[in-house]
Amino acid sequence: MNIFNITLINILLFFCFNSYSHNPENFIISEIEQGILTFENEQIQEEYNSALKRLRIRRLKAMPMHKKFFIFTKSGFEHILPKGLDHILFVLGLFFSCIKFRALLIHVTAFTAAHSITLILAGQGLIQIPASIVEPLIALSIVWVAVENFLFNQPNKWRPLLIFLFGLLHGLGFASVLNYYGLPKENFISLLLAFNIGVEIGQLTILIIAFFIVNVILRTNSKNKKIRIPISVLISLIGAYWFIERVYTLL
Amino acid sequence: MKNLFYLSFIFILFSCQNKKTQSTINSIENPFFQEWNTPFGVPPFNLIKDEHYMPAFEKGMKENMDEIDIIVNNKEKPTFENTIEALERSGKLLTKVQRVFSNLANSNTNSKLQELERELSPLLSAHYDKISLNEGLFLKVEEIWKEKNNSNLTDEQKKLLNDTRKQFVRSGALLNKEQKEQITSINSKISELTTKFGQNLLAETNGFELILEKEDLEGLSESVIAASAEAASQKMNNAETDDEKNKYKEKYLFTPHRTSMYPFLTESSRRDLREILYKSYIMRGDNNNETDNKTITAQIAKLRAERAKLMGYKSHAHFVLEERMLKSPEEVYDLLIKLWEPALDRAKKEVIDMQEVVDAEGKDFKIAAWDWWQYSEKVRKEKYDLDESLIKPYLSLDNALQGVFNTTNKLWGIKFTEIYDVDMYHPDARIWKVEDEDGSHLGIFIGDYFVRSNKRGGAWMSSFKGQSNLDGRERPVVVNVCNFPAPVGDSPSLLSFENLITLFHEFGHAMHGILTNVTYGSMSGTSGPRDFTEFPAQILEHWASEPEVLKTFAIHHETGETIPDDLINKLLNASKFNQGFINTEYLAASLLDMDWHTISSNEDLKDANKFESESMEKYGLINEIAPRYRSTYFAHIFSGGYSSGYYSYVHSAVLDSDGFEAFKETGNVFDKDLANKLRTHVYEKGSTEEAMDLYVKFRGKKPMIEPLLRVRGLDK
Repeated sequence: MNIFNITLINILLFFCFNSYSHNPENFIISEIEQGILTFENEQIQEEYNSALKRLRIRRLKAMPMHKKFFIFTKSGFEHILPKGLDHILFVLGLFFSCIKFRALLIHVTAFTAAHSITLILAGQGLIQIPASIVEPLIALSIVWVAVENFLFNQPNKWRPLLIFLFGLLHGLGFASVLNYYGLPKENFISLLLAFNIGVEIGQLTILIIAFFIVNVILRTNSKNKKIRIPISVLISLIGAYWFIERVYTLL
Repeated sequence: MKNLFYLSFIFILFSCQNKKTQSTINSIENPFFQEWNTPFGVPPFNLIKDEHYMPAFEKGMKENMDEIDIIVNNKEKPTFENTIEALERSGKLLTKVQRVFSNLANSNTNSKLQELERELSPLLSAHYDKISLNEGLFLKVEEIWKEKNNSNLTDEQKKLLNDTRKQFVRSGALLNKEQKEQITSINSKISELTTKFGQNLLAETNGFELILEKEDLEGLSESVIAASAEAASQKMNNAETDDEKNKYKEKYLFTPHRTSMYPFLTESSRRDLREILYKSYIMRGDNNNETDNKTITAQIAKLRAERAKLMGYKSHAHFVLEERMLKSPEEVYDLLIKLWEPALDRAKKEVIDMQEVVDAEGKDFKIAAWDWWQYSEKVRKEKYDLDESLIKPYLSLDNALQGVFNTTNKLWGIKFTEIYDVDMYHPDARIWKVEDEDGSHLGIFIGDYFVRSNKRGGAWMSSFKGQSNLDGRERPVVVNVCNFPAPVGDSPSLLSFENLITLFHEFGHAMHGILTNVTYGSMSGTSGPRDFTEFPAQILEHWASEPEVLKTFAIHHETGETIPDDLINKLLNASKFNQGFINTEYLAASLLDMDWHTISSNEDLKDANKFESESMEKYGLINEIAPRYRSTYFAHIFSGGYSSGYYSYVHSAVLDSDGFEAFKETGNVFDKDLANKLRTHVYEKGSTEEAMDLYVKFRGKKPMIEPLLRVRGLDK
């Protein structure tokens, strides 16, 4: 039934554009057959975003594996440095606690293990927690590590567990980033790994820079109260500000 | 404290990273005024902004006019080179901007572009009128034309010369002053009447509403009910008075728009309501009110006949068909009448089939026009039993594209490679470079397939850049735009069988635009007569439904299983369903179109109804079917550009069925030899030769109607 219809529209449209025609009747035809266009800007933006994601996935699919791996590693790194200010603050919060280097390593590893778990689960679509819950909680986690740093001289023994839980939260944050960019189904696990590696390198870079500045340039260490307290206060204030802002905007 | 200062400095450094430097649009020059250094001549979409169009159009029109003036004022003796070729080279900037604009105004529009469209339409038609009515220019062309036998022009050049001259002649260049004035006055009268016709039709289509209560919805499916409820609630929201609002409150609305009417006619078990809605549709423009179109149609037909007589033609149809593949009304009638009998016979059988269903239901009425949709659907379910949803999983867009690429690769050895580093106008627009068998560059193919809210409906082919060999080898940039469903979540875009046919069809047009290889751009690609240019598109559809081909790409997107034979058979059978009705209503409208446009200027015409009923009686149309368009709402011919051209669809169908039959006859649908002929004589040639000559060179003989009758199941 519709075959005539389709053909008709084809021919009409086709003549309106192609024939570099001088016949003004062609303009009239297009009006009749195409009908009036009504569109909503909001919908256009939404469609545009999903199209953008499809484009990214198409481009990725066409790349050789090593290039894809590199891109995801790079994007993982970039989501710490420079785009992930909240993650930077969290890691600095860990750095400026008065603990030994070995303990710091345990904390950072716990954090990494935890955010890898949620990143994989959320990436697979196995868990879904709305950003309106995750984002303010991430802000709160920053407040907590910083507050701990200036309230207590010794971190409490539950800290690694707490950091692990916070890591789970941060993983959900990464997942929403990855979801926005789109992950091709074919290389899901390896690209997730690549992204995680990038995040890891990003975190380590933060620690190294911080260590370099504090220990080499300022010739002191992270336990120094003159540094530890003001920075922790600053971090917690920023975290608190974000918490309020995120609750407010996401509500 | 100093330490703290250092650290905060680092924080600030980090947080500043994201702020981009803002570039102002003003500082960028208008890309239409520059050479495009893009790969393969693809427009630099990322640089083109809405505000660049108008200045480019203005400058383009001015440059074009200046070029025409130079040609006209040239003191030298007019030659093919200094006139026809100079014309061919003129208007470069205008074409450049017009191609980008008219494409994007349809496929990726916004309110600014829509506004520009309205503003530009009168400017452009005035501009082109100034050229085609330029007397000085015509005199030059005429002088060259008179000398054409004494010159050593190539066949292609002669055709271009002829075509150029004919355009002037057909705008009245050979007439005397008085006659020219008459033509102008007739044209303006026709233009007024066709506009009025369109306005009346719109008013009549929007003027009828079938507002139903819940208890009137018997038989309707949930989706149809939901759509009609939505239609009513929209009306309610837009209503201004409380009375108006109450009229639509919690009601269900159906209208004579086909998208609203067909589902109702198919599903509603209320025969009385079906009759009301159907009649509202076929009585549009025939209600003896102020928006009646009966007199207008007769007036338009008479004015066209008068104009044809002034131009020296027997009738309007003679005037129009001179430019077509079928050259005269006699040829068109001959084709239509040959198809009419088998179609009508089949339609009569379909009525009998449906009557059997009515009788079996124990109902006591004779099938009428408004029962057709409902009972043909019942017959379809019984006889053909095809569930569309079973097919879709086999037809993901990517598979279908692979299918069409493989098909053209097997036919002509051409290769498609998707490229990713070129900026497009929308992220859903994909781009491929096309290479010939020997690796040389043929052109660029852009596929913009998914439905979106700023794209017009339907499906079409167009180009961003044309092909020409006049000043070096220039290869085209061609686009297909469709409205296929976008992917949802992780599952790919799945096509219906109809979508698949559309994909192949548009791809056929694209091939016509990409394989073309002529000297003069105005004769390239799809520039031929419209009863021919559908042929390259429609013939490609046949490969899509060829089981051997279908099986190579119709792979289930989840299971990886190839489409089963049983499903293919059902699919192909279903294409023969209801063909009696479809062809009869179409042919009736085509005959009506021809009858209206073969009248002579002194015919006594008062009433469209009398003319129409006499015409239909003559051919023996049955009461259960109305012409696809009755005169009073036949917009194609009374307000569009299709007068004495509605037959084109079936003519193209005759060509494609007959053309594909040629492949079948060789026993190999990818026969290399025949494929080469199809390419060199059809896809490459544009309009450099007469369409029928091109066809015969490919096929070896003139087209026959029998293959079409077989394809549509009208042969027995």
